[in-house]
Amino acid sequence: MSGRHTGEQHSHTVEGTDPQLYVQVHEPQNDAGLRPVLLLHGFSSSSKLNWEDSGWLTALLEAGRRVITVDLPGHGRSGAPEDMDSYSPSRIRADLLQIVFDAGARPLRDGDPSSGLDVIGYSLGSRLAWEFGATQHELVHRLVLGGPNVADPLADFDLIAAQRYLADGTPIADESTAGLLKMAMLLPSNNIFALLSLVEAIKTEPYDPAEAVPHMPMLLVAGEKDDRAASMPELAALGAKAGGMVEQLVLPGRNHTNAITSRAFKQGAISFLGV
Amino acid sequence: MAEISFPLPDLGEGLIEATVLEWLVSPGEQVERNQPLVEVETTKSAVELPSPQAGKVVRIYGGPGDKINVGEPLIVFEVPDNTAGIVGTVPKEEAPKRRVRLSAVLDED
Repeated sequence: MSGRHTGEQHSHTVEGTDPQLYVQVHEPQNDAGLRPVLLLHGFSSSSKLNWEDSGWLTALLEAGRRVITVDLPGHGRSGAPEDMDSYSPSRIRADLLQIVFDAGARPLRDGDPSSGLDVIGYSLGSRLAWEFGATQHELVHRLVLGGPNVADPLADFDLIAAQRYLADGTPIADESTAGLLKMAMLLPSNNIFALLSLVEAIKTEPYDPAEAVPHMPMLLVAGEKDDRAASMPELAALGAKAGGMVEQLVLPGRNHTNAITSRAFKQGAISFLGV
Repeated sequence: MAEISFPLPDLGEGLIEATVLEWLVSPGEQVERNQPLVEVETTKSAVELPSPQAGKVVRIYGGPGDKINVGEPLIVFEVPDNTAGIVGTVPKEEAPKRRVRLSAVLDED
């Protein structure tokens, strides 16, 4: 049951140029009357891979939640703009804000469970959700951050080595860069040059979670075999220091790739956001 | 009663096998069509497979960590005799209750 939805290229320009983002709003059959949930996928993934094929969309719709999915620039069914500015995290956050308002999200009001917005992110999507929550505290009710980073693996990405590899196959010395590029090239649907533009734009705005910390309740989730599980307490401490309530969930036996389908993850998120 | 066996479906992108992460149903359990059956992982991503069929689970193939090739048996259901042979009965679609429109109202300029 995928619910009813409409989808189209997002056409409301925020910064003067069309970000060509593919947005879908999915309506549950039995609406629980709660605020919409925005889903933000990871690097080199898409709303389809990260949220639909993994069973998240079905689970959220069955819980009566209205769901907004957005493909990041250069990913999934979104366009791959030529200008680098379209890929900067600040620009993406501004576009997301416009998208959720266009989809009907409204600022939080005391005593109104349909007001505000819940956000679930995975990996790069969690970075965007962290920053979005920190800057939009009048809108965001709760956050669920899956596979969240404390440092920015994309900021350390060796772009020159990646471009050399793509040009003539020169091996990439940096292990993290080689791994990320391999992941990006696994899916034929990925626009590899758009993904490299995203990396380049992220390098101009590297992630620093301490710079702006969300105050709303947060659930942090990672697979036991994901290195990020070990650094989650650092993020939790930042959130707690800022006065927020932070819960952590570690998924036994799971890694960064396969944590996403975990039932425990979905159920944990749905109950955390079901208030 | 009759038994219907379903193989691991084609997961696209030229994938030929998947590894079982976790079964979400067990033998003896009654499942609905589209109910999540199993989580599997491919070289590209992790996927949750919905049930193509309503019925009682008779057998499941492969435990966590086991590889299954596309086309090999994944699960066997027991169904009433009169439904055997009809693969994946399609439930009635109800009329849409709500519609959303995403097109932004563009300014005149």
